[in-house]
Amino acid sequence: MQGIEFVRATVLVVFSLNALLLLVLIVGKAIHRRISAGLQQRRSLYISLLSRHIALPESELNLGPKVGGDRAFLDALIDVRNNVTGPESDALSGVVDRMGIATAAARRLEKGVFLSRRLRAAVALAELADVSSAPVLMRHLSDRDPAIRIQCARGLGRIGWTPAIDAIVGRFKLETPWVRSRFADTLVGFKQRATWPLVAYLKINHRFETDGPVSAIHTLATIGDDQAVRPLIELLAEARDPEIRIATVEALGALGVPLAIRPLRNVAKTDDWRVRAKAAAALGDIGDGAAAPTLAAGLTDENWWVRRNSAASLASLPGGHDHLYAALRSPDRFARDAAAEALADVGAVMGARQRQSTGEATGDDLVLIDLIESQVTVTS
Amino acid sequence: LSKRILVADDSETIRSLLMSALEANGYDVSVATNGTETYDKGVAGEFDLVILDQLMPGLLGLEVIEKWREEGVDTPVIMLSGVDDDHTVVASLDMGALDFVRKPFGLTELLARIRQRLS
Repeated sequence: MQGIEFVRATVLVVFSLNALLLLVLIVGKAIHRRISAGLQQRRSLYISLLSRHIALPESELNLGPKVGGDRAFLDALIDVRNNVTGPESDALSGVVDRMGIATAAARRLEKGVFLSRRLRAAVALAELADVSSAPVLMRHLSDRDPAIRIQCARGLGRIGWTPAIDAIVGRFKLETPWVRSRFADTLVGFKQRATWPLVAYLKINHRFETDGPVSAIHTLATIGDDQAVRPLIELLAEARDPEIRIATVEALGALGVPLAIRPLRNVAKTDDWRVRAKAAAALGDIGDGAAAPTLAAGLTDENWWVRRNSAASLASLPGGHDHLYAALRSPDRFARDAAAEALADVGAVMGARQRQSTGEATGDDLVLIDLIESQVTVTS
Repeated sequence: LSKRILVADDSETIRSLLMSALEANGYDVSVATNGTETYDKGVAGEFDLVILDQLMPGLLGLEVIEKWREEGVDTPVIMLSGVDDDHTVVASLDMGALDFVRKPFGLTELLARIRQRLS
């Protein structure tokens, strides 16, 4: 009897707790919805006021002293400012100054207790991109929270704060891949100004770490500054880390300067097939006919990727097709296949078949058609 | 009689900015918040000019112009868009848009373009 009473009481307690939890959830959701609706309403109102202020510069923007700290106002201000340029953007910068908005956000970032509040402040500072915030953003590049560090770097990039370049590059080795890639995005925004700090970082650090230098090399490639070519060539000669060598070869290809052809031809003979394959692709990216003999030699490489990249690069080089047609008659079966596939990829087979149908096919056309048909037969 | 302008953009901020600026300059402004509403308003009403966004829910800006032209609606259009790839710009102008303004934009400059187009 007592057992039944106990089970009944337990069921009642569990049921009551569940009901209470459900009630809390429903009330919580209702409160959240109300807060969101209020935020949205105030945001719309502020957008309208700011729009009128811009449209009628003589109109006063009479807002209470607490409005500057309202999230809805900050959202509206940032949104309006991101949509306009010129004198209208300047007018909104005036609002930021007069209301001390950047100062207040900086204070929240420095003194805030809750992460969400500090992060919102960092995002606001990044979006406002007010030069007065640069020192605070610099300090928080080493914030304990990675999302805040990213926002600080972004803000410094938007301001165009050149002293931040060294500080951001200097943090490469300390950061996770995610933060590092976002830092790299910021550095790309600095364009050529980031080239030499990145080069200096690479010179020192390529011996001691991998991930940071690889990110730095990719960043240099994205920036696309020709001044990075010589330092990257030197790096290719010095670096022993295969990942760094691969990234360097890719970057030299992306930069597309013929000065890199000779060093790339040298690394096309290296023991590591990944470096050879990347070198073959990079020589194609540079697009200079001087690389053709090296790439033709790559058609007989023992590795499939090297053969494939060499053939694809030859297909895009001036004079490269001659080497590919010559390789169709190579005693090396793999070289023949690689050349035929590359020619097929650039539409040579279609042209050959058209000429065959009109009786104008050349000897090269017939060899190419034979090879492709035999490949199809083997595959099927 | 003031000139009638339709502002078609899904962004509340852009609509508000343009409405304030255009009304302050004496224009009679209507707004549309998506492609379908824009198409309907263009067919139903007589506008002297439409300021049209490209990326809108419902119909894209270019699709709206295409459908209008099929229906014989030849209201002048100024495209105002954050999409500024060559294809969109060229396609807009090919379809008869008078101008293509990129976001973010200078309000004063846009007003000058509108004045010039309506003069």
